Amino acid sequence: MISPTANHLQDQSSLFNTLAFPRDAYCEAFIPQGQCREHWLPLVKALNATGIDSLNKRQDRVRRMRHEDGATFNPFDDPNQVRAPWALDIIPMPIAAKEWAVLEAGLIQRARLLELVLGDIYGSQSLIHGRQMPAELIFANPNFLRHCHGTKPTGNRFLTFYAADLYRGPDGRFRVLRDYGSNPAGLGYALENRIVISRVFQKFYHQTQICRLAPFFQTFHNNLIRRAALQQEDPRIVLLSPGPDSPIYFEHALLSRYLNYPLVEGQDLTVRNGDVFLKKLSGLEPVEAIFRHIPDNRSDPFALRRGTATGVAGLIQVSRDQNIDITNPIGSGFIDTPALSTLLPDLCRHLLDEDLALENHPAWWCKSLESRNHVLANLKSLNLGPAFDRSRTKALPENIKAAIEAESYAFMAQEPLCPSTVPVWDKHGVNSRYALLRVFLCASQEGFVVMPGGLAITAPDVNTLSENYPERQQSKDLWVYSDRPVEPFSLMDGMHTTTEFRRGRDLPSRVADHLLWLGRYLERAEVRVRLLRSVFRRITGEDRLADIPELPFLLDLMATQETIQLPEEKNIILRYRQLWDQLQDALYRKDRPGSLAAVLNQVQGAARNVRDWFSVDSWRVINRLDEVPDSPVEYPLEHLDETLYALSAFSGLAMESMTRGLGWRFMDMGRRIERAMIHTNLIRAGLSQLYEESRSKMEALLEVAASIMTYRSRYRTTFQLAPVLDLLLIDESNPKSLAFQCSQLADHVEQLPRQHERRFASPEERMALDMLTSVRLLDLSTIGSNQSDDENLVLSSFLESMEERLKNFAQAISAHYLARVPVTPHYSVITGEAKS
Amino acid sequence: MKYMITHTTTYTYSEPASLSQNEVFLTPREIPTQKVSKNRLTIVPEPQYLKRQTDYFGNLSHIFMVQQSHNTLSMTAQSEVETMTPVAPPPDQTPSFETVAMGLEACENPSDLAAYQYVFASPLISIPPGIKDFAQVSFPPGTPVLKGAVDLMGRIFTDFTYDKSATTVDTPVEQVLAKRKGVCQDFAHFAISCLRSLGLSARYVSGYLETIPPPGKPKLIGSDASHAWISVFVPNAGWVDLDPTNNLFSGEKHICLAWGRDYGDVTPVKGVVMGGGIHTLSVKVDVSSQA
Repeated sequence: MISPTANHLQDQSSLFNTLAFPRDAYCEAFIPQGQCREHWLPLVKALNATGIDSLNKRQDRVRRMRHEDGATFNPFDDPNQVRAPWALDIIPMPIAAKEWAVLEAGLIQRARLLELVLGDIYGSQSLIHGRQMPAELIFANPNFLRHCHGTKPTGNRFLTFYAADLYRGPDGRFRVLRDYGSNPAGLGYALENRIVISRVFQKFYHQTQICRLAPFFQTFHNNLIRRAALQQEDPRIVLLSPGPDSPIYFEHALLSRYLNYPLVEGQDLTVRNGDVFLKKLSGLEPVEAIFRHIPDNRSDPFALRRGTATGVAGLIQVSRDQNIDITNPIGSGFIDTPALSTLLPDLCRHLLDEDLALENHPAWWCKSLESRNHVLANLKSLNLGPAFDRSRTKALPENIKAAIEAESYAFMAQEPLCPSTVPVWDKHGVNSRYALLRVFLCASQEGFVVMPGGLAITAPDVNTLSENYPERQQSKDLWVYSDRPVEPFSLMDGMHTTTEFRRGRDLPSRVADHLLWLGRYLERAEVRVRLLRSVFRRITGEDRLADIPELPFLLDLMATQETIQLPEEKNIILRYRQLWDQLQDALYRKDRPGSLAAVLNQVQGAARNVRDWFSVDSWRVINRLDEVPDSPVEYPLEHLDETLYALSAFSGLAMESMTRGLGWRFMDMGRRIERAMIHTNLIRAGLSQLYEESRSKMEALLEVAASIMTYRSRYRTTFQLAPVLDLLLIDESNPKSLAFQCSQLADHVEQLPRQHERRFASPEERMALDMLTSVRLLDLSTIGSNQSDDENLVLSSFLESMEERLKNFAQAISAHYLARVPVTPHYSVITGEAKS
Repeated sequence: MKYMITHTTTYTYSEPASLSQNEVFLTPREIPTQKVSKNRLTIVPEPQYLKRQTDYFGNLSHIFMVQQSHNTLSMTAQSEVETMTPVAPPPDQTPSFETVAMGLEACENPSDLAAYQYVFASPLISIPPGIKDFAQVSFPPGTPVLKGAVDLMGRIFTDFTYDKSATTVDTPVEQVLAKRKGVCQDFAHFAISCLRSLGLSARYVSGYLETIPPPGKPKLIGSDASHAWISVFVPNAGWVDLDPTNNLFSGEKHICLAWGRDYGDVTPVKGVVMGGGIHTLSVKVDVSSQA
């Protein structure tokens, strides 16, 4: 922690007068005597003028806006998890135009240099032959991918997107701490920070000459198109993400939306005939460029022999054939190797004939004798770590000296980091934190271009700052002042054009699959809530259990959905205590597959997989489903009402915000299939008891099927089986009836994409039509009056066959559109010869 | 010796496989002691994508993809090679292993640099604690490098048990050290780990070995198998191949397919399949000498 000992500021009226900073570190905002640095002055004045209360309000607003945009850390895993990666601080970090120009030049030189290094090691390797680079850096370095050697990337660009972490040392000079090539993170957060902060400080932002970020994204996009010779309209670019399990999935979703590149996962892509394709409902669509957000070593399970979860099998072969542009080319993670930086001053002179403009953080790679001796002599004061692995997952060996002597190339040491401090806002005022800058560059025809902005990453102590735990760090928007007027670019323009591709006529099969299941789980949850509510309503009244004739009926219905488990023997009336326990399990036990809690979990899981499809509002509602108490509550009815409300709100919002595209169709098909299946199943299960024409049972059934209001409005208080069944099965004007579900399904399948011109109905269409016709032709005229066993049998076998047909229909849809095929690796085993 | 080699790998799937991507190293390598006169790879069903390429280590590989639905996939490599017995330097007269290790690290000439890449641990060959202790028994100070390697090979041959049940595609070196059991691939990995622990350069060789049936018995077609051995770098003499499974210098009965850092670099047949349910694998290798 920063101790509150050092100099205080002099102006007692300033918000900053409580600001403390450590003696050794450079303070970004003030000189030690307490005067504000020139480029901070307008901001400090503006903040002082705003005042504590208003700043607190704005900080709340920042938190809320960011949360609403979904910039949170896996919201489903832990509802109380409030730590988002790089939580945003309200105070931006400004940088003066002059200073930035120097940084910019240094970063461009560094990117040029690193690209030349990549070109060499994946080509002629003249650097190791000429002994400018120790051979271990290639031979013993897991970041060097042999499979990528000899591959010429598109436009011969080995590095097209580059990020670096910088810090300012006590002497006021910037140094580079880390380089990122494989899949630099943080660009999306930088974008989000700018969107939020420019809104919160709207007036100030627009009155000040702050460089805009939008031109950088345009440069990135335009050069990608030019380099890969893609068509201007509708270029086939995708953003490849590991999926919602990634802690920074938010960033992938945001960049996808902003750049208008469809967000895909490894399983959405496939390699055919040496090209990459996106699996969509209507078939395979070619992909020409990939903005890659998965690490090098997980990019291709075929070539790199890793688990098959993330990458695209065969991707490296496609890039070898030069049929895809990947940003960055696979293998560029070589520049993430910590030891490489120690060579850069010499390599810069050798390759560029220039001195390295931007210094490195002082570090020594033990490979050279001189460095090794320095490290061994200063083991106590230096930070020792592996030379090739930044993650530092392995513990260092116990006998460090011996280990260094044995494998000197595997170790390096850095000087302890002493970064500058910046003012941050906390609830009570301004505080001081250590800061790193993460900056981004992209390749353009005219050379590298630096984004004028980035992330200022802050933390209360240096260790948290230097380790790679974005969820423990905060971030600031980085403001680069311009000495010229800035062009008014709106970031939001990009956000509005977004929706086009997702509203299109096609979508990835994986997305359709998740949406279909989301629809099914939603319906499944809703039925459970209705069943449980009907039961709780009855047993929380005045009546004794034995005096509720429809209770066993409702419990039987519930048992068909595996929501409760009834005792084997029939007709045993549960004691109140037993029943209560059963119902508690039905509500809360996540390990019982049919319980409400388990199904709600499935709802959230499915929603999470298609998270970027839903509006912020729907999202908030989904998060609310998590608020299921862990322990039983006193008033389950209220909880059930709340849940039903949340489910309906989500369905409503999701359906409303989704326009009637294919995504909506699949989700709605899921609902219809599930509703038809469950209702048919419930009616069949209750049929024998319903013949008694017991009013309370018929009422209970209508209640569960959400049709009681409709029934009452039509038939008042007369309860007869025939009209009840008619309303639930055949009446197409009742949105809950079986016939209605079938007619909706028939309508949906007709609209699904097909590979060939429509000449014949697809099998799914025929199945849907067949179901609809059978329901319409169902004859209920004999029901009710002295029915015979035969007639019972006819109806019950009709229901049974409907269930079967619905199941087949669901399977046919999955097989046709959503085939999910497992991928297995295989290897030949060499056993060789037995000893003779 | 002249050999005709037929190597057939067949996958049978319980359910249709929709896409199969494979990389195979089934073309014998052209080297001074081995001339390849014929090589043909037949794949059924015919792949939609087929590329022949040279890998990082100079081996020839085929990459192919079968994209239509199929229930079996078979690939047959037929090769005709002529082999000669390599001349190994007298082990006692090779430089001491310490000099060799120092020379490699100095990388002063291109051949040392080329050999240096096989000095380090690789994905399937770690250098766990205990390996160096094991290796040093064969390498007292000043031991000529090849003498030590031959001694190490002999110890593996006598101390370790050939046991097919004790192995998988990637049995770790630790396990081989602890159990002292395995197959040729494990023995090769183990020997390489030992040599690398001393700073020596050793690579993994994949190939075949002609088997001789017991006297009076006819040789069964397809009874041969893929084989693996090691190659150790001896300055000036070059690479010397040793077969730890059989405790001998590799000779004209050894047919070399490919070499790399470990089995993973040169797996004869590897790939990924979409679908296919349960896979059944059958491998038939036939190495027959031609008069």
